[in-house]
Amino acid sequence: MASVHELQLSTPDRALADRAAAAAIADVRRIEAKYSRFRKDSVTSAINRSAGRTSVAIDAETAALLRYADRCHEASGGCFDITSGVFRRAWDFKRDPPRVPPADELDALRPLIGWQRVEWSDHEVRLPDAGMELDFGGIGKEYACDRAASICRDQGVAHGLVNLGGDVRAIGGRADGSPWRIGIRHPAREDDAIATVAIHDGAVATSGDYERCFDFDGRRYCHLLDSRSGMPVSCWRSASVVAPIATLAGSYATIAMLLEREAAAFLVSMGVAFFLVAQDMTLSTGGGSDTGASFVVSDETA
Amino acid sequence: MAATDDRAFALIAAALALPGILPIAARAQSAPDEGVVALRYYDYRDWQPGADRMAVKSPYLYALVPLSESLVVEGSLVYDSVSGASPLFHDTLSGASGKGIGDYRKAGDLKVTKYVDDWSLSAGAAYSDEQDYISRAASLEWRTWSDDRNRTYAIGFGAAKDRINAVEGVNGPVLDQPRETYDYLLGITQVLNARAVVESTITYSEGRGYYSDPYKLLDARPNHRRIFAWLTRFNVRFPRPDATLQLSHRYLEDSFGDSSHMLEASWVQQVRQGFTLTPTLRYYTQSAARFYHDPPFPQGLVPGEPYTADERLSAFGAVTLGLRVAKEFPHRITVDVGADFYRQRGDLRIGGGSPGLAQFSARWIEFGLTRRF
Repeated sequence: MASVHELQLSTPDRALADRAAAAAIADVRRIEAKYSRFRKDSVTSAINRSAGRTSVAIDAETAALLRYADRCHEASGGCFDITSGVFRRAWDFKRDPPRVPPADELDALRPLIGWQRVEWSDHEVRLPDAGMELDFGGIGKEYACDRAASICRDQGVAHGLVNLGGDVRAIGGRADGSPWRIGIRHPAREDDAIATVAIHDGAVATSGDYERCFDFDGRRYCHLLDSRSGMPVSCWRSASVVAPIATLAGSYATIAMLLEREAAAFLVSMGVAFFLVAQDMTLSTGGGSDTGASFVVSDETA
Repeated sequence: MAATDDRAFALIAAALALPGILPIAARAQSAPDEGVVALRYYDYRDWQPGADRMAVKSPYLYALVPLSESLVVEGSLVYDSVSGASPLFHDTLSGASGKGIGDYRKAGDLKVTKYVDDWSLSAGAAYSDEQDYISRAASLEWRTWSDDRNRTYAIGFGAAKDRINAVEGVNGPVLDQPRETYDYLLGITQVLNARAVVESTITYSEGRGYYSDPYKLLDARPNHRRIFAWLTRFNVRFPRPDATLQLSHRYLEDSFGDSSHMLEASWVQQVRQGFTLTPTLRYYTQSAARFYHDPPFPQGLVPGEPYTADERLSAFGAVTLGLRVAKEFPHRITVDVGADFYRQRGDLRIGGGSPGLAQFSARWIEFGLTRRF
């Protein structure tokens, strides 16, 4: 989770704010350590090391995350797949000069992907083939964001905001009763907001092609890879979603990017407010009639 | 579209089942975080051909107050003032069928519920006081939810001690007669999908004591009664017409020998400007108690054996038509007005009812004011 995180807590009690923040941050670190691909002692590494061999015992938290990933897989028609991280071996977004991997490299990796083949239950999980990997990156950060907000609320914070790498979860509105104003980052201009959405409670998450990407031969290649072809999706520059919790908002935004043309229909069927920016910078917004949340486009965008 | 709704629902349910995803207060799914105060007024009147019978007017007060994130107290108070004569059903009964009644009933109850993780425990007490009858009851109910919050189990136990003091009983005073009842309840509620919920509850009640009616010339009932009831409710929401269909069925079997079915259907329709319209249709059918005897009175009487000519234990059918209109106002105030019309006759029972029953009709009008905070 190498990104900028921010906790804003509004309370007259400074000691309470410090306690709540400390507890929330400790839990975020706990989840990061538990599910990080990069740490040898993480649950993810233990599961991936046993791929093709034995099953690994898991606790209730991991089982709940796997169940959630399974529902995301189903809701997205198979596009959202937490085993598709192996395609990363073919793509290097930091490489200079950038390189588009040849088709045979992607073909070699494809047999290692397939959430539907993973054997999982409430108590254990097994990856059937050696070389298969699970990656909680797509859901872990949003889950940590929601837990951080819950911890702050349980400690007694009534007004606050948790921003974990761009996934935002509100705790009540601002102290004066007005809503939090969440800016949606402009895909091309890092410090500008292309739109704003106001929320009292709930979450806003954005998935964009600009987070990890390179441009090559006039085409943008981003880190969101189609789980079947192994090639990046290219329909939207960014997708933002308002949902009651960050876990859902984040999944909806990611799935929208992966579904490409079908994103709007999917988001409407899920009943959430959304904001999509196309490659040609056309804006589309919809949904959210239940919650009243709506995206207001910034004046500078023309 | 239905398949998509199911997937959306499954996704949301899985997200909500992630540990710690919601603050503790929200996690105890049914712990109310808002209070309610409601004032209601009921006006009941019944009549039979040629005669008005009973009228009851009852103001009723109810409050629910969350004391903390996990503790809720609720209570109600009701005062019934009853006037008129009790129902005359038989065309041919001679003698006093029931004296005029001028009565009152005061009743109150209190319930405290504690919510812990995925279960809750409620303890309740109730008291009812009429001129000739006092009832005291206590109850305990334990509820628990499945991890995904789609299923709720309920187990309940209750006990009641009643005392009948009919100083003006038709056959002489009936003094200080006790009655003890124990009830058991088992229930399951299951959320079927994003739009439908089904609930099924079984109750068993066993009582010993005085059951006869002291105001009937000849009425001797067993002093042991067992009742088994099975209630099933099904609610389904239709988003396009913005309405909910509520269906319920209750089967009841009484050791007195009568058994009954009640079928009810309501359509809760949201209309513009915050109004809700709810028409209701209810059909009730009951078989006669084994010691109920048709007129002429006292046909069938065997000294020493139970006997009743009380029409409430005869075989009959009944239809109720009701309509309720509710409107929401600012500050979370709801006002509602409703009327129900009831008609009971022997021949409304499928398969035929007891002979010689006069038609019995009743109507309720109710007003309610509810404030949430």
